[in-house]
Amino acid sequence: MKSHNAHKTCWNCPAAIFKGNVDFRACGQSMEDIKSIEEGQIVIECARRPELGHFEPSITFEQCPEWIPFPYGLMLKDMRVMILGIDGYLGWTLALKLGNLGFRVSGIDNFLRRDCVMEKGAHTIVPIERMTERLHAAREVLGININFRRIDLKDRNQLKEFMEEVKPESIVHYAEIPSAPYSMVDCTHAIRTQENNVLGTLGLLFLIKDVVPESCLIKLGTMGEYGSPLTGRPLFEGIFPSDAVMHWEGREWSLGGEITPRDPVSFYHVSKVQDTFNVYEACKYWWLRSYDIMQGVIYGVHTDEVSRDPRLRTRLDIDEWFGTVVNRFVAQAIQDMPLTVYGGGEQIRGFIALEDAMECMCRLIVSPPEPGQYDVVNQVSGLHKISVLAETVARVAETYGLDIRIQRLENPRVEADRHPFEVVSTKLPHTLGFTPRVSLETEISRMFELLIKSEIKKRIEEKIHLILPKTRWDGFKRESDILEIYEHGIKKDTGFKPILDT
Amino acid sequence: MEITDRTFEREVLQADIPVFVDFWASWCLPCKAIEGILGELEKEFNSQVKVCKMNVDRNRFTAHKYDIFGLPTYIIFKNGSPIFRDMAAKSKKEFKDIIEKYCL
Repeated sequence: MKSHNAHKTCWNCPAAIFKGNVDFRACGQSMEDIKSIEEGQIVIECARRPELGHFEPSITFEQCPEWIPFPYGLMLKDMRVMILGIDGYLGWTLALKLGNLGFRVSGIDNFLRRDCVMEKGAHTIVPIERMTERLHAAREVLGININFRRIDLKDRNQLKEFMEEVKPESIVHYAEIPSAPYSMVDCTHAIRTQENNVLGTLGLLFLIKDVVPESCLIKLGTMGEYGSPLTGRPLFEGIFPSDAVMHWEGREWSLGGEITPRDPVSFYHVSKVQDTFNVYEACKYWWLRSYDIMQGVIYGVHTDEVSRDPRLRTRLDIDEWFGTVVNRFVAQAIQDMPLTVYGGGEQIRGFIALEDAMECMCRLIVSPPEPGQYDVVNQVSGLHKISVLAETVARVAETYGLDIRIQRLENPRVEADRHPFEVVSTKLPHTLGFTPRVSLETEISRMFELLIKSEIKKRIEEKIHLILPKTRWDGFKRESDILEIYEHGIKKDTGFKPILDT
Repeated sequence: MEITDRTFEREVLQADIPVFVDFWASWCLPCKAIEGILGELEKEFNSQVKVCKMNVDRNRFTAHKYDIFGLPTYIIFKNGSPIFRDMAAKSKKEFKDIIEKYCL
C-alpha cells in the first residue's frame, strides 16, 4: 500500500527553498504584468540536493531519495525537528519517539511547567529526572542525542540564535501553559497564561518567517476551542464544509471555508483561540505552513520509549490545575478516593491516549501542508461522557481489587454539563493513514500497573489534598459541595450520546 | 485534474467538451472547502464536462490573463472561450446547477 504522504511534492518539502518568481499575492494584489509563462513559474533549489540547480518543484516524496520509508509513511532522512516545550508531558515523550525513529531532535524549555506545578505545591506523581539526567539517559538507553537549550519561548533573541544554528525543518510547539483552572486562579494567572501563550506564539511566528519560512509549524490547540454548541452542530475540522449553508430572510450562502465559531470555556482556552487566528493570518501573509491541532484530552503513561527506563518516564500530574480527567481518576481510584465528576457529569469530550497522539504527531511532521496553507486537524480517537469514563475507570479498577465509588461535585466551572456532542475527524484516518491502536481500557490498565507501584502510590498520597477543585470560575476560592456519592455500575447512561464522524 | 500554465491551452482551450476551471490557492480556506465537492463532480460528469483546478500562485500567467481577483474563482470554457464566471464557495447542489445550466 502507498504511504499516506507518497504523493506530496517539493511544494510540501521543507528542503525546497524558493529561488525565483515568488509572489504569493498573485491573486488580485500583484500588479506586476506577467508577459510569459516562464516569468510566472516559481523555481526552487533543494537544500539537500543542490546539484539539481534551480528547478520547478514537482518531485514527489516517493520519487525523491531524501524521503525514506519509516513506520508511519515516508520521512525526510535525518529530518530536523525542534520541540518547543521539550521537558513537558508531551514534549519529552515525543522527543524520545522521534529520536528513536531517526529524526534529529532539538528542543527548548524554560521549565515553566515544573515551576507552575511547584508554585501550587503539587508534584508529578511519576517522578522525573532533571534535564541533564534525562538527556544522559536518552543517550545511554536509546542512543539518542537531543540538542537541548534552556530558553524561554518569549526570549526571541536566544531562540533566534538557536533556530539559526539548528535550522529546524519542522517545529512542534508545545510551549504553552496547558491548564484551564490555572488560568482561572486570579488575574495574575490569567495574564501569565495569555502572555506566555499568545505573545509567545506571535513572536514565534515572526521568527519562523525570518529564519525558517520553509519549515512547518505544528501547533497544539485544543478541542476546547470549539466549545460544545447546544444545537448539536458538528464540530468540523476548523472550517465549515461547502455544503454548510446559512439561511437568512429567504436568502442563502455557503459557509464553506469560513473558520467555525469558537466558544472557549476559560481564559486558557481563549489564548488558544487567539493563537488560531494569529497562526492562520501568518500563514496567509507570509506563506508559512501550519497544522493547528485540536487535540482531545490526553491521558496515559505509555510509549515504548518512555517505558524503557525509569529515568525516561514522562511527568504525570493529578492536581486540580494540571491533572487531566482520566489521569486524575486513576490516581483517585488507587487512593480509594471517590472519582470526582463535576456537576451533572454529562459533559462529553474528545480523548486520545498518549501513545496514539504521538503517532499522530509523527504522521503530521512528515506530511507538511503547502506554503501558505493553514490546516486544522481534530486529533481525537474517541468521545466519552465524563460519568461514563468514571464507570470505565471503576471497572478496570475492579480487576485490581479496588472497589470504587463516584462522587458528583458542584461544578466549579461555568460550562454546560449536559449537551450534545458531535465531532468530525476525517483527516487523520483518511489523509494521514492513522488508526487508533490503544483502547481506553488498555491505557487505563497500563496506568494502574504503573501507579500502583509503592513509590508512586506514596507520591499520590502526599498530594491527594490537591485533587479536589478549589479554583472556581466565579472567582471565589472554596471547596465544591458534594452533590451525590454513588456506587459505580448502578446508574444507567442516559441523555446525549457522543457522535464521532470519521 | 490539476492544470498549469503549460497545459492550459491543451487541456482547456482545445478541449472538445466544456471545461470547468477552479482557480485556487493554498492559503484560501474556501478553496480547500470546495476541493472535495469538485472532485466528486469531476467523477459524476466524467465524459460530459472536464473539471480542472489551477493554482494561481504557481500559474500567474493564466491567472493574470483571466483577471482572477478573488478566490475561489471558477470559469467555464466552451470551445476555447469563457462563457460563465463566478466566485466564492458554494454548496454541491449550486455547483451542480451551474454545470448543468452552462455545460450540458
